Amino acid sequence: MSVKVELKKQYNEADTSKTKDTKKSFILDVSFEMENELVVLFGPSGSGKTTLFKCISGITELDDGKIIVGNKIYFDKNKKINLPIQKRNLGYVFQNYTLFPHMNVKKNIECGLKGWGKESRKERVLEMLSLLHIEELESRYPSQLSGGQKQRVALARALAPKPEILLLDEPFSALDMEIRTELAEKIKNLQTKIGIPLLFITHSLEEALQLADKILVLYEGEAQQFGTPEEIFYHPNNLHVAELVGISNIFDDAYVKEWDEESKSTVLKSGDLSLRIKTQRFKSGDKVSWGIHPENITILLPDSLSENQSDNTYSARIISIVNKGPKKRITLKLVRYNKTLTAEVPGQFVDALKLTVGDLCLAKLEMTKVVAFCDL
Amino acid sequence: MFDNIWFPLSITLWIATISSILVLCSGVVISYIFARYDFRGKELAELLVTIPLVLPPTVIGYLLVILVGKNGFIGHLIYDFFGTGIMFTWQAAVIAAYTVSLPLMVRAAQAAIEAVDKELEYAAYILGRSEIETALLVTLPLAKKGIFAGLILSFARAVGEFGATLMLAGNIPGKTNTMSTSIYSAFQSGNNEFAQTLVLILIFISLMAISLTGRFIGKLEA
Repeated sequence: MSVKVELKKQYNEADTSKTKDTKKSFILDVSFEMENELVVLFGPSGSGKTTLFKCISGITELDDGKIIVGNKIYFDKNKKINLPIQKRNLGYVFQNYTLFPHMNVKKNIECGLKGWGKESRKERVLEMLSLLHIEELESRYPSQLSGGQKQRVALARALAPKPEILLLDEPFSALDMEIRTELAEKIKNLQTKIGIPLLFITHSLEEALQLADKILVLYEGEAQQFGTPEEIFYHPNNLHVAELVGISNIFDDAYVKEWDEESKSTVLKSGDLSLRIKTQRFKSGDKVSWGIHPENITILLPDSLSENQSDNTYSARIISIVNKGPKKRITLKLVRYNKTLTAEVPGQFVDALKLTVGDLCLAKLEMTKVVAFCDL
Repeated sequence: MFDNIWFPLSITLWIATISSILVLCSGVVISYIFARYDFRGKELAELLVTIPLVLPPTVIGYLLVILVGKNGFIGHLIYDFFGTGIMFTWQAAVIAAYTVSLPLMVRAAQAAIEAVDKELEYAAYILGRSEIETALLVTLPLAKKGIFAGLILSFARAVGEFGATLMLAGNIPGKTNTMSTSIYSAFQSGNNEFAQTLVLILIFISLMAISLTGRFIGKLEA
């Protein structure tokens, strides 16, 4: 089953608590194609993720474009096709699950089995209950279920009518951290098992990286990048994506100096600082931004090595050390350049090296991990 | 004495029951449309349905006479069809009761339907359910508290209806003398004892209605 989406939709932020001026309003403009895989829609709140789902499901009509799932045309502006919601045959788990509060679990699941025979309906409900391991919940009402249980029932209900595509809108947002990881694993397995395209909304980077075959990054309604988790994480193609994947060290003052054949790297000049990156995407003279994930900065003691620009190693002074659970966040000021970097290193490491504020050290920016992208 | 009470009591309950059934059927449909649709003239329609709440009953009665009287638009149709008018019959009393109690139903039910999360309806649509199925399976069951409350209030209002009934159905002994009109005529003719008995019965019915509302809503909430 392949899915093809090309849509344009005027987006107006729904939140009524905000005044008119601060409300976001933009054009949702997204195109992508997917197969039987798990695609995560990733972006900050208010980037249009849920609106995209509403367009696909038919709750909201698009302004322009088309949506094709398998051989079914859901919507095509040019052909004037707008399939009614009921005929789209998709599974949709809303953020708050929308279980019918006056029906027990069995009745909730049966709701989507319109036109099935009595026997086959019964069978299908049992099948779904066992698929999600919730057999014992059959006669409970939604108010008697925990968040995780509700989520499974909602999934069972969505899958019962054999949908051709499954949409999950932040299914874990109301759950504890522990259950999240466990359920994320299950959802990934489930997708492989049922073999239908699955779209999953989240604004958690961790979830996106854990689950996705591919990630579609949305920012203010525009698709920024579509690729595998590795591509998105290590090769963000613009500032928005870079910020969303947690790169906090971003500098926009660089240009490409040359391609160095010997070390197979591109030399960037960022102010006075020269820096090497392992990509051949750019031409000499290109204006670029570069950045690095805080965890990809290695801190070394100055006596073990010395500053070496061909290796992206620079002397730095420690300005602050902040505890972040098992990790420590260290702010470094490069001694010879006017740049400040943030690194995240394991706590034991800081203790073992007895690093303190004011110490001199070496900061090594792993060449393969430095990301660079052209300015927006 | 018992015979004297029996007729007004039974005709009143009969009129209120028929009126309430009509109010329930039409009121739920009207409430659903008001709650879920926007259309041209919606405000006017809402106004028309609700205005009997604030109009004096005699004004409602007068307007209804114009509408369903022999020369009225609807009255004329009825006369053509049945060969007889409905003024001064129990059916006329039903029309009066229906008109004054419908707004109570619509206000309660509309608010209850509006309070049902629209996403639940979308969830049902996505599961392949048509709008009518969704209304019957999801929306109305979830709004039933408000609908019951509206129904009981409407019934109580119909039982106590006086002004419009008097103008439309009159107070014909053995035909249209409801409890309220009987109390009035008993009081007018100085038959205080009879009036008091009827008053007590009406108070009892009203108390029943109120406690029933409370109990029903309490039960539905549990």
